[in-house]
Amino acid sequence: MVFLRRYLIPRLIQYVLVIVFGVTVVFLIPRLAPTDPIASTIAQIRSQGSYLDPATVDQFIEDLTELYGLRGSLWEQYIALWMRLLRGDLGVSFFQFPTPVIVLIGRALPWTVGLLLTTTVLGWLIGNILGGLAGYFSRHKWSQALDILAMLIRPLPYYILALALLLLLGYVVRWFPIAGGTSIGMRPSWTWTFIWDVLRHSFLPALSLVILGGTLWFQTMKLVVQNVNAEDFVQYAKLGGVEEGKIVFRYVIRNALLPQVTGLGLALGQIFSGALITEIVFSYPGLGMLLYNAVITGDYNLIMGITLFSIVAITTAILIIDLVYPLFDPRVRYR
Amino acid sequence: MRGKVLPVMSLLAALSLLVSCGRGPTVTPAAGVTPPGTPLVSPATPAPDVLGVLPREETLIVAQLTGRVGTPDDFNEWVGWKWRDRGMQQLMNEPLWSVDFATGKIINGLAAGDPIYSEDFKKVTIPLRKGVAWSDGVPFTAADVVFTVETLIKHEGFNAHAFFAENVERVYAPDDYTVVFELKQPNSRFHTTFLDRWGSTWIMPKHIFEKVEDPVKFKFNPPVGTGPYKLHSYDPAGYWTVWERREDWDKSPTGILFGEPKPKYIVFQAFANEGAKILAQLTHQLDAVDLSAEGLKAALAQGRTNRAYQKTFPWVVNNDPCITGITFNTAKPPYDNPEVRWALLLAIDIVEYEAQAVDGMATLSPIHVPSLGPYIDYYIKPMQEWLKEFTLDLGNGETFKPYDPEAPRRLAEYAKSRGYAIPDDPAFISRAFGFGWYKYAPDVAEKLLIKNGFSRDAEGKWRLPDGKPWRIEVISRSDMSHLEFKNAAAAVQQWKKFGIDAVHVPSDNVSALTQNGEYDVSGNWPAFEPWGAGPDLYRVLDPFNSAYVRPIGQLTQGHTSRWSSPEMDDVIKRLRETDPTKTEQVVAIGLEGLKILVREMPGIPTFGYIGFISWDEHYWTNWPGAENPYTQPYTHWGPFKYMTPFLQPTGR
Repeated sequence: MVFLRRYLIPRLIQYVLVIVFGVTVVFLIPRLAPTDPIASTIAQIRSQGSYLDPATVDQFIEDLTELYGLRGSLWEQYIALWMRLLRGDLGVSFFQFPTPVIVLIGRALPWTVGLLLTTTVLGWLIGNILGGLAGYFSRHKWSQALDILAMLIRPLPYYILALALLLLLGYVVRWFPIAGGTSIGMRPSWTWTFIWDVLRHSFLPALSLVILGGTLWFQTMKLVVQNVNAEDFVQYAKLGGVEEGKIVFRYVIRNALLPQVTGLGLALGQIFSGALITEIVFSYPGLGMLLYNAVITGDYNLIMGITLFSIVAITTAILIIDLVYPLFDPRVRYR
Repeated sequence: MRGKVLPVMSLLAALSLLVSCGRGPTVTPAAGVTPPGTPLVSPATPAPDVLGVLPREETLIVAQLTGRVGTPDDFNEWVGWKWRDRGMQQLMNEPLWSVDFATGKIINGLAAGDPIYSEDFKKVTIPLRKGVAWSDGVPFTAADVVFTVETLIKHEGFNAHAFFAENVERVYAPDDYTVVFELKQPNSRFHTTFLDRWGSTWIMPKHIFEKVEDPVKFKFNPPVGTGPYKLHSYDPAGYWTVWERREDWDKSPTGILFGEPKPKYIVFQAFANEGAKILAQLTHQLDAVDLSAEGLKAALAQGRTNRAYQKTFPWVVNNDPCITGITFNTAKPPYDNPEVRWALLLAIDIVEYEAQAVDGMATLSPIHVPSLGPYIDYYIKPMQEWLKEFTLDLGNGETFKPYDPEAPRRLAEYAKSRGYAIPDDPAFISRAFGFGWYKYAPDVAEKLLIKNGFSRDAEGKWRLPDGKPWRIEVISRSDMSHLEFKNAAAAVQQWKKFGIDAVHVPSDNVSALTQNGEYDVSGNWPAFEPWGAGPDLYRVLDPFNSAYVRPIGQLTQGHTSRWSSPEMDDVIKRLRETDPTKTEQVVAIGLEGLKILVREMPGIPTFGYIGFISWDEHYWTNWPGAENPYTQPYTHWGPFKYMTPFLQPTGR
């Protein structure tokens, strides 16, 4: 009961408040920006010199205002937004009218989640295992070699690393495709051919993310482990003759993992924002480009839809971390 | 320090290695060695992996200009924006007429001839082509046209709803191949809504749309068209669309007019960055692409089978019907003053300007239409004498003639200094660099500004008439390869040199800012584009109509300069009352309009739009290059369909 009153309920209230606040901010910011979804639509229709009779533009603006649901005051639009959200309706995209936002997100989400979930977890596992071992055995040569490698990779801007992989493995040796999520003409199906095709196209984007993400986890884990290793209780265990494997995994790495678990939770929550640069370099489908295009075209509903996913994902991740933290850290449980 | 230097040097070494390694494989096919992974197949071999299920030797792959399709499963192009350059406007649809700017011709598609207007321009009759069928085999008739217009009028969600609702009183078909429009008010250019110039009003298949409950929300998937290709497949993620040649291609206007399209499949592929486009082309996975200037140079340098529109300098497509330059917001002071606008023009050294913008590759134009085939003879040459005599009043009885017919020669000298081979032939220089521009006269610009109350401070910086520092923000798109960006950047450099605090402000939001009038100066085109064929300048001049001007903060209907004048209104009125097919009268009025624009200079025309096309001739040849411009060269324009019968497979 105390746990509910002092720990769970405040966090649930905080969870709801953060979502309401986030939705409100995301509702306001695009409307305060000079971006105009109607101007963007008209500009795109007029692109490359296409003709839109100037005499009928006023009427067209009226029609679009009606279609996009942009009539009424800011307050009326805000209320209408909550009414829609509570019904589970994210509205239609303005720029990709009349496609529902949920359809656009549903189309991009599997690519983003498939790629980023896998690479985030893989990068975390590889980075933490290697970082943990390299931190504990920091005087070994292999540990120092890994450290130098990480120091070389880590300062590379992600764009350059991704481009280098694309050039090397996509163009020079040509083992992997240089663009897209699937081969041209390939129809989606649950066949081995299609799955293999998707995996081949995902390999380079995934590799670039795992390399960079894994290096980051490696370096942080190594530092944390080195700090923990210098703690009195570890020294005491060593002097007391505790088996080294036990010291490494039960004493050092377990303690060092606490901030890493928090980091993993947040990283998983951020998946829903997409990976814009990865999508640009590898012409890979996903939420990043969808969100970028929504922002520059003033597609309010689409911005709201994607960021809502992101807000809910991150706040949920934080909530889950808060709730499971006592399992990892007895000190929290005792408080 | 060493910790920072080491990674950077390693990176540079690695990239150098990659680039040097990368050069080898692109040129080896001629030596008889197959580069690893190259999709080089003989006709007998199965399709390579990179093309999924399509045989490469029968497939043409082109880059999609507007990028990844946001609505991949939706082909209802009458509503909103549907990425119609994914092949819909080029291969699936036939318009009533098409503009071909390379030949200067209007091509009859679904129409069998010119529109016939009544004397009061309140009725127009359009003859339709016989023998055309939709891609599902149903014959195309006038009933489809009538149905389309009636449907567009009925539903507000269609883009063209307002146009047809405000213009059409009645539409009917006296027979299967004639359609008649009765208009609510005189409109001598009504038919141009059906004239494809990178888009038009397309015709709906009545037999499909009449069964649909809500045609605005209808996805029209699979689509049915009258063009020579039908949809084969598309990427649900929006990166590619594949079109397959119709078995009954001879029932499409393209087939009837020009014969069988050669590629069996045509793929439109989107890339999220230019590097990927170049790599795809160097590995023969992309046959035609529009690049930036730098991208084209890289592709030509590295690809042995690559070619540009012109085989030698300046390489580019320089017959595009669009004029680029600078636009002033004439609703805001001091840009509401034509003498200030002229002063800013005279502060530009056009050779330096064009050198910075496009390395001297574009054709200058002193007027608000480009130096393009038909416009040279209709407007640019006839205006030469007038331009030479055109005089600015500098005050105190002093005058100045700003026109400089020698500007193209100066530009040619610049190109020579860059090492390009430029013939001294005046005809070549006029074709490549134009017929003239304006003098670089900062001293005259200074006099004009002082005449209007401007002054310089102790450091030589210009101040406004109220004594405040003069700061010009020039906005443009943020895409550095776009000519709006390049014009804006070049203008800023020129004006800085002249002593103005000019800054370039690239923005992804430029369309909203310019249409709402929230800017000073922009890299927007200084005038709307003409049709690209024929002498009619209605499309250039009408956007300057005073009826379209809106206060700052409201979306403008017309040109973003928000400039208008009673004199121009009169020109537009007379043009409206003139049959567009009466060349002599149309040209005479057009000349009047262009002279007003030069005098008032609401925007500075600099050079014609140039396209940086790169074609790979590994699989397909006979592209419509400058030596054989049988049609316009772009794969994103509607008449691309008319190129397909002329492309030749290499048999690789």
